[in-house]
Amino acid sequence: MEIGMLPISASKRGKLLAAGYTTLHSILRTSTTHLARDIEVSESEALEILNFATRSSDLDKSSGSNANVIHGGQTAWDMLNEERFSSLITTSCLDLDNILGGGINCKEVTEIGGVPGIGKTQIGIQLAVNVQIPLDYGGLGGKAIYIDTEGSFMVERVLQIAEACIEDLSEYSHHFYKDNQAFGVKMHPNSILENIFYFRVCSYTEQIALVNYLDKFVTEHKDVKIIIIDSVTFHFRQDFDDMALRTRLLGEMSLKLMKLAKNFSLAVVMLNQVTTKHIEGSFQLTLALGDSWSHSCTNRIILYWNDDERHAYIDKSPSLKSASAPYSVTSRGIRNSTSSSKRIKMV
Amino acid sequence: MAPLNSLSKEYPLIDSNFQTFCASHAIYSVEDFLLHDLDALFASAANHSNSERLKQGIHQLLLIVDALHPPVLNGLQLIEDAKRNKHVFSTGCEGIDALLGGGLRVGQLTELVGPSSSGKTQVCLMSSSTVAKNKCSVIYLDTGNSFSPQRIAYFVGQSSDYVSVNQNILDRIICYPVFDVYQMFDLLHQLKINLRSQIVKSDHQVQVLIVDSISSLITPILRGNGPQGHALMISSGFLLKQLAHEHNIAVLVTNHVVGGDDGNPKPALGESWKSVPHVRLLLSRDCRSNVSNISIIKHPAMASGRSATSTRLFV
Repeated sequence: MEIGMLPISASKRGKLLAAGYTTLHSILRTSTTHLARDIEVSESEALEILNFATRSSDLDKSSGSNANVIHGGQTAWDMLNEERFSSLITTSCLDLDNILGGGINCKEVTEIGGVPGIGKTQIGIQLAVNVQIPLDYGGLGGKAIYIDTEGSFMVERVLQIAEACIEDLSEYSHHFYKDNQAFGVKMHPNSILENIFYFRVCSYTEQIALVNYLDKFVTEHKDVKIIIIDSVTFHFRQDFDDMALRTRLLGEMSLKLMKLAKNFSLAVVMLNQVTTKHIEGSFQLTLALGDSWSHSCTNRIILYWNDDERHAYIDKSPSLKSASAPYSVTSRGIRNSTSSSKRIKMV
Repeated sequence: MAPLNSLSKEYPLIDSNFQTFCASHAIYSVEDFLLHDLDALFASAANHSNSERLKQGIHQLLLIVDALHPPVLNGLQLIEDAKRNKHVFSTGCEGIDALLGGGLRVGQLTELVGPSSSGKTQVCLMSSSTVAKNKCSVIYLDTGNSFSPQRIAYFVGQSSDYVSVNQNILDRIICYPVFDVYQMFDLLHQLKINLRSQIVKSDHQVQVLIVDSISSLITPILRGNGPQGHALMISSGFLLKQLAHEHNIAVLVTNHVVGGDDGNPKPALGESWKSVPHVRLLLSRDCRSNVSNISIIKHPAMASGRSATSTRLFV
C-alpha cells in the first residue's frame, strides 16, 4: 500500500483512502484543486501531499550512472579508504587510547557509563579540550558542544585542564623541535574556553528540542567536531510515568544523534548513569535507560573501580576487541594510571 | 477503491455511457463492481441499445482487475523456481549455517534477536564478507553507524590469499546509513524499481539485503497515538518479504530484546512482528567471554530450540 509510506498524518491518509486514492499514481494524476475537493482539505495541504507523492515518484525517474548504488550509499572499499583518514580524539591517557584504537572515533556515537564519582564528567571535559588540539600536533583543531543536564560542568576545572593541556603541548613541541627555534604554542586557555559551546538543559523537552536544533547549529558552525551530553539519562529517570513514551522519545533522539554524527563527521559522546538489574538471581549494575537504549550507541565503554584504581572496559564495539585499561583522574585531567602493572589487560 | 470515473482517462471503453449504466445498478467504484453479481450485469447489458460496447466495458474492467493480482503458481512451478533461483548463502559461521540448514535462504526473511553486544552486527558483517567473496552483491542498511569496513576487511582477509582481490570483494558490499523509517522505504522502493528494470549486470545482482537494525527504526513510531506505527511496521515486513520472494534476495534483519513479563527477555517489536520473519534466531553471549550461543526460535524446517555455539564472532 504505497500511500502508507508517505510521511503524512493518519487522518489525511484515511481521507485519501476513503476517496479512492490507493496508489501514488492516482494522486499524481489529479490536480491540487481536485485533490483538495475530494478529500476536503485546504489547497495548501493538498499541495503538500502532492509534493510528497512527486518526490517519491521522482525516484522512479532517476536512473543513476552506477545502477548498483542508489543515491546515498557507499561501497565498503570507499569507506575503508576513508577510514584511514578518519579523525580520532585522544583521551590523554595512553592506555585508554590504545584500547580505543587511537581515541574516540568521529562519525560514531560512544556511550560512557559508570558509577558516580568514577570520572565521567572529567572525561567529558578532557575530550572537549582535546578536540581543540591543533592539526600540527595531531589533533582535530575543532570546537566542542557540551550539553549539561546535571549542572556538573565547573568552568574552573575546564580552565585547569586547558592550561595543563597547553603546557603538555609546549613541552611536546620543545622536545620535538628542540633543534629549531622555539615553536611556541599559539594557544591560550581563554581561546580553548571560547571554543566550547555550552548548553544547559533543565527538562527532557529542552533536551529533545536541543537535539533537534543541533542540526541547524552544526550547519552554521562547521568546525564542531564533538558533542558531549552529560548526562543523557538525568531527565529521563525521575518521574517518567509513561515508559512507552520514554522508549519512543529515546529511540528518536538516538537516531537523530546518529544522523548528526554521520552527516557532519563528528563524535557524539553520551555519558550515562548506572542502575541495578536483576539478572539470574542476583543484582548487577548495568547502564540506565533500559534494554532498548543499550542499542542506541555504536560503542560503549563502562567505567568501574578495581581495587582503588579506575578502569575502563569496552563493552560494545563493532570493530574493537573487548579490553580494559586503567586510567586516573589527576589535577591535570585524565592521565595514565601510575600503578605498578602498566600492561593492558585483554579480556 | 477508485471511483469508476478515474479510469475513464486511460480506458476509453469506460466512458460516460458505461458509467451511467453502472450507476443505474448502484455501481460507483471498482469495489461496488466487484461485489455485484456479474451474470446479472451481463444480462442487463444485453437488454440495452449499445449492449456490445457495454459488454466490452465490463470485460475491460475484469481485465484490469485480473492484471493486478500476482500470478498463480502450481507446486511443480514452485519447486522449479526454488531449485533454479532460491539459493542458500553461507554466513561464514559453521554453527549458524548448521542451524539454518545451510545458511541464509533466498526468498526468506531471517531475523537475529539478541541483547546488546551479543554479536548480531558481527554476524551481519561476517555474512556480508562471505557473500561478497562468493561473488554476489550485498546491500547493507546501517542505522547505528556500526558498519565497520575494517572488520569486513578482516573477515575477508582471513581466508583469501591475494590482497589485490580485496577491492573487488569490498566493492560488492554497499552500505547505506538510514536514520528513519521513511528513508528506508524510499530506499527499498528505489531498489525494487532498479531490480524490476533489470539494468544491472548479472555479477552485480543484489542477492543479500541486510537491515541492522530494523528495531531501532520502528521503535520510535510504535505505540504512538494510533495504529499508524503498527501499520508501517507490518508494511515494512511485507515489503521486505516481497523483495525477497520476487527478486530472489535473502534478507537478514536484526532486532533487540526487551524485558518480558516474567523477567525473561523477549524479542522487541511485539506480537504482530513475530509472524513476519520466516526464521528467527536468538543470540546471547556468555558474560565477558568470546563464546556466543545461538538458538532457533522459529524455523520452517528445523526444530526450534536447537542451538549451537560459535567462537569466531568476537575474535
